[in-house]
Amino acid sequence: MKRWFFFAMLLILAGYLLGGSVWLRPFGEPPRSEMDRYFIENAQTEVAANNVVTAIVFDYRGYDTLGEATVLFAAVVGVVLLLRKVKE
Amino acid sequence: MTALHVLTLTLVVVGAALAAWFKDLLASVIALAGASLLLSLEFYLLQAPDVAIAEAGIGAALTAAIYILAIRKTRPKEEE
Amino acid sequence: MSVIVRTISRVVAPVALAFGAYVIMHGHLTPGGGFQGGAVVASVVALLVVAFESGRWKKWKDVLLPLEDLGAMAFTILAFLGLGATFFRNILAGGGGLFGAPVPQLGPNPGALNTAGTLPLMNWAVGLKVIAGLGSVVILLSLFGREDG
Repeated sequence: MKRWFFFAMLLILAGYLLGGSVWLRPFGEPPRSEMDRYFIENAQTEVAANNVVTAIVFDYRGYDTLGEATVLFAAVVGVVLLLRKVKE
Repeated sequence: MTALHVLTLTLVVVGAALAAWFKDLLASVIALAGASLLLSLEFYLLQAPDVAIAEAGIGAALTAAIYILAIRKTRPKEEE
Repeated sequence: MSVIVRTISRVVAPVALAFGAYVIMHGHLTPGGGFQGGAVVASVVALLVVAFESGRWKKWKDVLLPLEDLGAMAFTILAFLGLGATFFRNILAGGGGLFGAPVPQLGPNPGALNTAGTLPLMNWAVGLKVIAGLGSVVILLSLFGREDG
């Protein structure tokens, strides 16, 4: 019984993923593109960087990078705490 | 172009299935690393080179190294 | 590991190290950046740890863990530099000093290294942080369970 339930869930998930990949939007045509246009047109004058992705990651959306750095720091601190040498 | 996408993604699925099927854990980890490398090739084909470099570094190299270190300290065969 | 793995590692490690340094230093010109280049260099550390496993990596761990804190602090201080306007304000861009030159021309161009303000410095900080963090994690996992860990 449990096995059939998990099999049905797997089928439903696979159906969703297949449908999502078949009825994907056409490549390179997002529904709205005002913000993309702004970044592509103004990144070279405002940030003076050729790589627009880096300009977004480190300048326009710097908070995201700060959060990512915090996640990495927390992971390293967790590993160091878990694998520390315990005095008997 | 579509044929290349379909071929790459099929090979990713084949690599993931091999990783689940192998009984020898070292071979399983190598199949998983191969699937990650092909996934990074797919990211490159979708014009996302940033994500491709990150996937090749983390998914293919670091994850495989950590799994190999873990296998070396435990048993190398899967048990029923 | 076997002799084959050690020989291949000696050949591959310098090339991958150079590629990782390139990705970090040219983060504001070509695809990639601090996180990607740091992951490449950390994978070199993982390769060396897997190929030459011994207790000598213990002292590397003591060097790498303070370096991670240094990278995180440098990144946060660079973010606080722009606090006169907003957090993460790029104060060095277009100022004419270090990394202050404007782009050579608008549109597609080869680019110059001396551009983009605080972006290269932040790339270096994040790259140092990712190298030290992931490298020390791999070294700690390889030392786990050993007598001299």
